[in-house]
Formats: sequence, structure tokens, C-alpha cells
Amino acid sequence: MIESYLIDKMFNNEPFLDEMATDQGKIHPHWESLARYYEQIGSERMGQFHEEVGRQLRENGVTYNVYGDPNGMNRPWILDPVPMVFNSEEWEGIEKGLLQRTELLNLILSDLYGDQTLIKEGHIPFELIYNHGGFLRQAHNIKLEGEQQLIQYSSDLARGPNGKMWVLHDRTDAPSGSGYTFENRAAMTRVFPDLIRENHARKITSYYQTFKNTLSNLTTNNKENPRVVLLSPGPTNETFFEHAYISSFMGFTLAFGEDLTVSDGYVWLKTIKGLEKVDVIIRRVDDVFCDPLEYKNDSHLGVVGLMEAVRQRKVLVINPLGCRVLENPGLMAFLPEISKHLLGEDLILPSVATWWCGQPTEMKYVFEHIGSLVIRNIYRGTQKKSIFGGDLSKAELQALKREIRRSPFMYVGQEMVDFSTTPSWINNKLEARNAVFRSYVVADSENKNYKVMPGGLSRSSPEKGAFLVSNQTGGISKDTWVLGKAKDTVSLVTKPIKSQLLVRSVLPSRTGERLFWLGRYLERAAYSVRLMRMTLLSYNEADEDIHIHENPVLSTLLQTLTVMTGTLPGFTLKKNLKNPESELLALVHDVYKSGSLAYSIQSFLTNAYSVRDRLSLDTWRILDSISEELARMRKSNTTLTQAYQSLDNMVIKLMAFYGLNIDNMTREPTWHLLNIGRFIESAANNCLILKGMLNKSFDSESNKELMEDTLRCNESLVTYRYRYRSNLEMHGVLSLLILHEDNPRSLIFQLLEIDNHLKTLPNQDEKELFSTERKKLLEAITKIRLCDIDTISVANQLSNEFDAMTSLLNQIIGLLHETSDSIYEKYFSHTDTRYSMIQSSAIPEI
Amino acid sequence: MKYKVTHITDYIYEFPATLCHNLMFQIPPELSFQNVEEYSCEISPKPSSEIERTDFFGNKYLYFSVERSHKNLTVKSKSVVELSTPPWIAIKPAETMPWEKVVDLLHSTKSSTDIRQYYLESNHVQFVAGISVYALKSFTPGRPIMEAMLDLNTRIFHDFAFTPGFTDISTPLEKVFKHKKGVCQDFAHFSLACLRVIGLSARYVSGYLETLPPPGKPKLIGADASHAWIAVYIPGHDWVEFDATNNLLVNDKHIRVAVGRDFADVTPLKGIVYSGSEQEMRVSVDVRNMEEE
Repeated sequence: MIESYLIDKMFNNEPFLDEMATDQGKIHPHWESLARYYEQIGSERMGQFHEEVGRQLRENGVTYNVYGDPNGMNRPWILDPVPMVFNSEEWEGIEKGLLQRTELLNLILSDLYGDQTLIKEGHIPFELIYNHGGFLRQAHNIKLEGEQQLIQYSSDLARGPNGKMWVLHDRTDAPSGSGYTFENRAAMTRVFPDLIRENHARKITSYYQTFKNTLSNLTTNNKENPRVVLLSPGPTNETFFEHAYISSFMGFTLAFGEDLTVSDGYVWLKTIKGLEKVDVIIRRVDDVFCDPLEYKNDSHLGVVGLMEAVRQRKVLVINPLGCRVLENPGLMAFLPEISKHLLGEDLILPSVATWWCGQPTEMKYVFEHIGSLVIRNIYRGTQKKSIFGGDLSKAELQALKREIRRSPFMYVGQEMVDFSTTPSWINNKLEARNAVFRSYVVADSENKNYKVMPGGLSRSSPEKGAFLVSNQTGGISKDTWVLGKAKDTVSLVTKPIKSQLLVRSVLPSRTGERLFWLGRYLERAAYSVRLMRMTLLSYNEADEDIHIHENPVLSTLLQTLTVMTGTLPGFTLKKNLKNPESELLALVHDVYKSGSLAYSIQSFLTNAYSVRDRLSLDTWRILDSISEELARMRKSNTTLTQAYQSLDNMVIKLMAFYGLNIDNMTREPTWHLLNIGRFIESAANNCLILKGMLNKSFDSESNKELMEDTLRCNESLVTYRYRYRSNLEMHGVLSLLILHEDNPRSLIFQLLEIDNHLKTLPNQDEKELFSTERKKLLEAITKIRLCDIDTISVANQLSNEFDAMTSLLNQIIGLLHETSDSIYEKYFSHTDTRYSMIQSSAIPEI
Repeated sequence: MKYKVTHITDYIYEFPATLCHNLMFQIPPELSFQNVEEYSCEISPKPSSEIERTDFFGNKYLYFSVERSHKNLTVKSKSVVELSTPPWIAIKPAETMPWEKVVDLLHSTKSSTDIRQYYLESNHVQFVAGISVYALKSFTPGRPIMEAMLDLNTRIFHDFAFTPGFTDISTPLEKVFKHKKGVCQDFAHFSLACLRVIGLSARYVSGYLETLPPPGKPKLIGADASHAWIAVYIPGHDWVEFDATNNLLVNDKHIRVAVGRDFADVTPLKGIVYSGSEQEMRVSVDVRNMEEE
């Protein structure tokens, strides 16, 4: 395996260096142990390890989202089993270079938002900063305590043709990927534990510990135990997985803009207990989306009034707003000189050669060499991609030049670097692919310096010779190993951690609402599956010669299904009853049909993904398999037989989800809200099924079948037989399903459960008066306890309908609605956060 | 001249709003030729927090929030301002520096960024096609900057028709240029584009101007509006103000409130309100000449 890689490297005449192989086909010393290992295990085992790595990541639910692709949500994260490797000597240089660059960028940042001496003295052109969208005038003169303004820094590095590492991009606004780095390492450690140990790949965990310490050092409020939220744009963001992941393991609260509000100058988290003060915001929302009052007024991802809270120093935002001005390729052209000026040092890590068109000589150079350069806008907006001059037609080149001439300071030309290849496991063999390494640097405010993560996120291109490496275009991630012990270990004793950032349990109202719905959709789906199974069985067994509307059992089942799923008119229509197949199939797998099983499961998944930081890893695995099952169900459901099979699979998975949560979830409001949703839904469905199935008395054979199906839908047939050891009778069935407090499927049990969970929630003081929602429940419970079982189990002699039972159940359903509304009002009402911009639109007129 | 200005903004919501955050740019600055004798601002309902700040461009502004349910929001700014003849009235246009020299000076580190920032494009002041050709008809080679500027001011006044209702906040400059119609804000933005495209620093000025009723008719209360004009940087004379809408070199009748790159920097009142409903807004401005009373 290694041999052919080396030979290929020797004879392919490609301009790139390779990380493992020298041009002469030898192996670099720091790769020898790995190469030996790969050779030893051979490609078959390697293939198995590759799959194992993928499985680990899938099981941990590691995903990312691709924009603009309907199937782009929750794509599995791809990890190459072959890491990117640095030896300790080279790493020392890279680390030094990164520290120097971070220090330098930090000084530039402080200057730009302060005295601007660098601009006044001509070290940085005025146009390069004032035209850049990341230069936020609103952030002028706002400083964090101390010298460090840039807290998190990342850069993309690649090895250039001279063998040195070059900086391709600086990331200073809200750098992403560190969460994935941790997951990559975790997966690799599980699959290659010995290899990692033997090669002394350095641990990367200190990165987040430093970050935590820095946060508690910097915050001005509540230093001992600050409340930290991670502000995420939401579940559709590309890297939402890691927002949830980082929140979970760091003990931050995952929040979206709508969860936060500014009042009294403070930022508050809306929780089910009420408002809770926020001390620190780690933002993953882009700068100008963070406060619609002062920046983009149509942004709904931010917090209205955030800048004012920042000015009043009542909240700490990391990275501070304004850092994006450093994500500016034009700046690269000036860094060497600024480094000499500010630090008295040469820049250690070179940037990609950059010509800023804001200067006439440089613009001329760019125009003359445009065919061999990458043209980039200094401000990375949503639409502005890198342009390869060589790819453009004559007309396109002319248009580009016109555009550059119009706003020269907005453009740079950059050299196309032939960056090095690294062995990658592709198509079951080692192939050379160009790779980019993303580094992570974080401020250590206690020691007033920066720390570099000894590792990071590397990515290689899926195609050979491709220079754009990103997840959006299908890049493959790699773990990054720095080999050998660090030379300059400052102290071997771990410093005492200043603060543990103790996690106080808070539940944002929005998260609470999603959990409530998660519970509801879970039960809705489970009840749908059970009733559908009965219906399909009955349909398959039905005598084809008898019209369905003359078959009381089947027509009752079908109509109950319509009522329970809320899909009227459905089987109340004669034509659907006559020919039920298409409606039945739609009820199973049409994800766009509100009330269908697929719709309920999709809604269940959507709610689950948005609270994924609250769910255990194992739960994510179940969710993934439910998602896969749903996809299968939608794809293969052409016949009712197939549908029946997938129903069986689905119900088991849904119950597994619930079962796992019983084991895993701490008994906090999260758990209680999930259960309140669940029991409200099951109580309501219980009522609807009883009402629908046992609406009317038919011949004794049909009655028996309907009672049996009703018990089955509630998983209570065995209990019934065990308990009564007799024929099915209405009296017994209703006792068991409505009145028996020890049957977990009975209505009274479900209502009592709602109350049990409800009374543990905040703002339910038992000593005081009962809350509205508990009063409604009490009324429902009492109605059932007082009902006379003999009366409700007898049908009206004239109509043959069970009027008394139906009337009781209708009252219970009504009370459940009122309970639900009142819970909503109390705990979730401030999730309604519609807002709009007002502007004295009267423009100056005269 | 001495004026009393009353600027009232009213928002009426269909359903109560629970919370709003606002920024208000209505506080006139104290200048050597603008003496602010009185300024007060009344907000109803009473704001929960209220902080006066200075922005990046040197303007005073008010941040305030109302954190309880309200169906109306009223902001009433009242000021008494005495204006005297500004120093630029004494400038002899023909003796000012050739405009190209000003451009050179601006584009070097000799000029401060506070001045240089006003020669860049901004959201509402874009260098649309044809605009430099228009500008260069006034800014002929070697022409003294003040002379050229007065000429441009007059040309815009004659070429553009003052037409209320044709434009709104979002109307692009291209459309204003094409139809040569608009209100004072459009006149100002267009003037700024002409100057910046050739490399001069020019900024947007928001403020008030007394409107005079037709001869023989009484002046109506609240019939005035806020006004906008521009200021050009002329070395040695600082910022010199021109009003293309009225073909004027600004004298002692314009009351200044705020300066910025364009309207967006100095919107008199903007905010975010938490309310699902529609809203209605009413603005009234009253400028009284106190010397005539």
C-alpha cells in the first residue's frame, strides 16, 4: 500500500510536495511509524477501520448542514482515518508563528477601534479598513478589560511549494470547527488507541479549559459562576451540530436570538422560570446579525439592544463585535511591515502572496497576472466567492477588471499556492490529496498570553488538485496530530481551575416548548402506528365481497383513524371508504399531509434536533435511526404490506427513544415538560380512540372485535385477559381504559401523570392556590372518579350509541385543551417574539 | 436668527407592544455659529432606560427603551436655537484652492480619518454610472473648489424637480438620477455622490428649516418637516454647507442636528418594537422664528 503511494509520488510529476513522501520516494521520519502500521494492517483492515471511524461519528450524531440543498440537513460528518501529522520541531515553529500572528492581530484590532495610529501613520491604508464591512463604527472605543481583545483566533494553513506553512485565511469573527476537532479525536482514539499512544499525539483538551478560565477572568459580572450562553443561528446553520456539542460539554446554555432579551441594560435568558441574567455570550452568529437595532435591522438571529448592553459592560460578548475587520485578505499584504513596526520582529508565518488593488502598482500587477491569480473581495459576504482568473473568459475578465477599477480597494489578487498533498483513504487505497489545516488559538487571560491547540481540523479535497477545500463542497475532514511532547511545558502541575462554570440548570422557554412538542409528537406517532396496524390487519383480513361500509369493524377503524389523526374528511367520505388504499398510504408516508404518521415523525425529529444539546448521545443514535427509518418508509411505501412492516420497525424505535430517556434524563423541567406533552397527547388520543371505536353497539361479533382492537391500540389486551379472564365486555374494557389507576394506559393514570409532572415545575406552589392548569386537571380527574361505570358502559337503547361515555370523553378532551392552553400561556408565552423595525420613515422632505 | 423647534413623532400600534428599543438623533449640537439655548425631550410612556451617547461621527444621540405594554409611543423634542452667520459666508469663492489639490490632500495621511471617511461610498450614496460625468461639468480642471461647488449646487437645483412622494427611503440613487426628481434627502444624496466620486469629502447634514407660507396665508402649525443638506470639506475653512434643494450657500436659517455619511447614520428616530401588529406613524415639525413674534 505504501509502496505504490511512494512510486506514484515519484513519477507523477505533480508540482505539490507531499506530507508523507519525499520527492525521491522516501518516507519522512515522522510518518514512518504510521506508514509501517498501514503496511502491516493492509487495505482490508484499513477499510474496516475506516468504516469503524464513520460508525463512531454516526453514533455520536456528528453531522453538518449543507446550504441550499433540500437533503442537506444533518449530513454525516466524514472523517479520513489517516490523520494530518506534524513533528514536534516543525510544530514549534508553527506554534510560535501562530502566537505571533495572534498577538499582532490583537494589537491591530485594539488600534483600529482606538487611536488608529496605524492608519494615521500610514501602516495600514485607510481605505482597507473603512471600506471593510467588518469595521463596525458602533464598536469604536469599546474595550474588554486588559490588553486582549481578540479572544478566539483561527487560521487556515497549508504547506507551500517551499516547504513552509502559509496562512491562507484568518478567521476572527466566530471561528468554527473546534467542536468537530474534538469529535474527530474522540473517534480516532476509539479506533486507533495504540497508534495515538505510540506516536505521542498531543492531547487537545486544554484548549477549552483555557477558554473557560479566560471567560471567568474577563466577565465583569458574577465572576464566580457566570451564566454563559452560546448564541447559535439555529438548527439550519452549517455547524449547528457543534453549537449543541460545545454547549453540552462546556456547560453553556444553547440559545437562539429569540431566547434572549435586553432589559435594564442586561441580557436575559427567557426560561420557564422567568428571566435569568446572562453574563457571557459566546457567539456563533455573524457580527452584523447580532443586533438589529444597530446593525442589519432585518436580522432575526440576534438580540435587540445587545450593543447597548455591551457598552454598559453588563454582558461579555466573545469574540467581541468588530473582530471581523481582521478577516481581511488585504491586510495580509501589510502584515510583514506592521510586524516589524509593532513587534520589532519578522513575521514568522508567511501569508499567501497578496496584492491589494487599492495601490496603483499592485493593481497593475494584478491586471497583468490576472490569469494566474485568485481574486478575492476583502470582505467575505454571502455571495462573494474567490474568483480564479484563469477560469474566466475574455468577456468575464473585462467585466472583472471594470469592477476592480470601480472599487479597487475592495479587491486583492492572491497567488495560487500549490499546497501539499497528504495521504488520504479514498476508494479503499491511499491517495494523495491537497490538504488545509485549521488551527485554533485562544486567549489565556490569566497568563496574559495566547495558547495554541496542539492539533486542529484538517480538511482534504475530494478531488485531486482541487484547491477549494470546504465542507460545503464536500471536503473530507482529518484529525491532526502533533507528535512528541511539548518542549516548553511551563509547568507540569495542572493549574487549579479558577472556576468550574458550575452549570445551573436553566431551561429556555423555547427549549421547553420544543420538549413539550417532542413529547406530544412522540405519542401522536406511537398512537398512529398502533391504530394503523390494527386497521391494516383488519383490511387484509376483510372479506373482499363485502363493501367496507357494510363492514362495521373496518369502517369504524378507518373513521377513527381519520378522527384521531385530524385528517378530516378522510374516511368519512364514501369514496375513500370504498377505495381506502391511497388515503391509507398517504396517512402513513406523506410527509406533507398534516396529521399523517410521516408528518408527526418529521415534526418529532425537527423538535428533537433543535433540543439536541439536551439529549444524550445514545438518544441521538436512536434519532438517527428513526430518521433513516422515515426515509426508508417514504421511499419504499408503495404497497400496504411494505407499510405494515415499516410501522413495526417504527414503533419499536419510538419506544426505544422514550425508554432511553427514562434511563438518561435527569428529573428536571426538561423531563417533566417532555412528559407533560406526552401524557396530554396520550390522554387525548385515548379519548379519541375510545370515542371512535366504541361509539356504537353492533352485532356481538363486531363488538367483540372492536373492543379487542381498542385494547390492542392501548397495549392492554393482555392485561385485560389476565385481569378478567373472561369474555370481552364493555364494562371491563372501560374500567380498564378509563378508571383503573394502576393501568398506565388508563385515562385516569394519564391525567394523574400530567398533574404529577406539572406540580414539579416552577411557579406551581402547592401551598398557594392551585394554578388554572391544575384546576382544569383536577376537574377532569374528578369527573372520571365520579363517573358511574354502569351508566357509561351501556348504549342508548334507541340509537345504540354510547352517549354517556361520549359525553364524558368530550368533556375530558375540552378540559385537556384548556390545560394545555394554560400551560402554554404560563411557560411558553414569551416565545412569541415577533418584532419589526420602526423608523421615522418620514424622510426629510423640504 | 432665533428659532423654536418642536419635533413630534407618534407611533400608534394596533395591538399593544410589549417592549421597544430606540435610537434618537434629534439633539442639536452647540457650534460657534449655533447656540442651543434650550433643548428638552419628552417621551411617553416614560422610558425604562434612557442614555445619552455620542456616536462615531460625533453626534449626540439618545438610546431609550420602553419595557412595558404600550399602544402609543410619543417622542417630543423641543429646542430653542440661535443662529449666527457662519464663517464660510466670508469666503471668496475664486480664492479657494483648486479642487484637485483638495483631492490630493484628502487622499494622504495628512488628512485625518474623520475627514477622509466622507469620500467613500456609503449605503445610500453609491457611485452610479454617469455621476462623475455630471460632476465634472462643474469641476473643470483647476477650478477653485468653492466656485465649482456653487456651480454644481445651482445645476442640481435647476436640473432636478422637487417632487414630494416620488421617492422614499429605499429609492436607489440611480432612479433619482434618471428621473431627476425627489425631495431634499435625494438632492443631498445626489450632491454627495457627485462630490465623493471625484474624491472630495462631503457629508450629510440633517436638521430643520423654516418653511414660509405662500404670501398672505397664515403659517400652519406642524407643517414644517425635517430637512437635509450637505457639507463639503474645504481645507482652511473646515466644513462648508450647501443646500441644493434651495440653491443656497447655507446661512443663518438652517438648524443643524446631526451629520453622517448619509441618511441611515442619522435617522431621527428608529427602533425595534416587539409587536405583531401594524403600526401607524405621524411626524410633525414646527419651526417658529422667534424674532418675528
